[in-house]
Amino acid sequence: MIKKLLAFAVLASSVTFVGCSPQTENVDTINDQGKAVMQLDYRDFDRAASQMVQSMIESGTFKKEGGGRYVVAKGRIVNDTMQHIDTDQLMAKVEQELTRSGLVAMTAAVGAGNAPKDSLVYSSRDLTRDSDKADEFNKDTVQAKGQLIAPELSISGKIIQRNIRYDNGKQQVEYYFQLQMNNLTNGLVFWQNEIVLGKRGDSKKVPW
Amino acid sequence: MRLALNILLLGVAVGLWGCQQEDKRISMAEDVKSDNALVNIVTKPVIHAFSWVTGEGVEIDRAVTYVNKDGFLQLEIAGHNRAFNPIVFEYKVEWLDKDGIVVDTATSKWLQTSAAAKAPFAIKAVAPRTTAVDFRMNTRKIPN
Repeated sequence: MIKKLLAFAVLASSVTFVGCSPQTENVDTINDQGKAVMQLDYRDFDRAASQMVQSMIESGTFKKEGGGRYVVAKGRIVNDTMQHIDTDQLMAKVEQELTRSGLVAMTAAVGAGNAPKDSLVYSSRDLTRDSDKADEFNKDTVQAKGQLIAPELSISGKIIQRNIRYDNGKQQVEYYFQLQMNNLTNGLVFWQNEIVLGKRGDSKKVPW
Repeated sequence: MRLALNILLLGVAVGLWGCQQEDKRISMAEDVKSDNALVNIVTKPVIHAFSWVTGEGVEIDRAVTYVNKDGFLQLEIAGHNRAFNPIVFEYKVEWLDKDGIVVDTATSKWLQTSAAAKAPFAIKAVAPRTTAVDFRMNTRKIPN
């Protein structure tokens, strides 16, 4: 009898614990009603990217005289925050929207630190022209020399974090998203903008 | 009789001073500008309570769209906050093409803005595609 009661109690408690545990749910990324967090989440990147792109388009500086698009290379985006951020979380959206706006074309052949954005731009040439497999490729489909387009502009930037402690047990975390578009011909800054996102909350919350 | 007339004249003068025309381009915060016969330390709590009870909030005065020199549709919204406290809210602008279909763009996100107490505010947005010819906008409270 006691054994049965014990088994029942264990079963009942386990059911209760399962019932109380938070359920996994998909985030509504279109109309997310989730609370703000001290760290940077996808909503912050969405907001920063949206405002950056709108600022670029509104500036009117990307309309190329004589038509055509500016060719843009992605420079270095420095993550100067306490968080492990892949800066592409910001830049992918910015590049995507700029490209789709028809104002610019991003190049995959040149990137920050002499690293192309897509290594296949060069390795496919090596493979199809110079390797022992080169004979396997139709020569008419192999990229001829002198076809790559040099970039005219580069985009670079920085994400900065500052933590400020208040006396009343609160802290403020400030995130600065800075981007600039530079003219590679003359080195002049073509466009520049900074978006500041601020978060204030319990100082016990860890912002990284 | 003379004293009563003086008080009446003083009252009229104060009333007229309170009703003097202010430059609509300048919005003075309640705690910054001078009190007057209508708005003062006695009447303020009543006015605030009335505003709160009637649920005064943000109102849109006008929305203007135009195509900028690069062919992108730009939107400028002007509104004002009727409440006695700043109102922070989010808005999302979606762009529509000539067939009324929503243009798929990563810039159509919930963005935050704030309207100062009893002051005008403006929202600006630009469509990132030249195919956009119209817009629609939603607003919501900041999620708690």
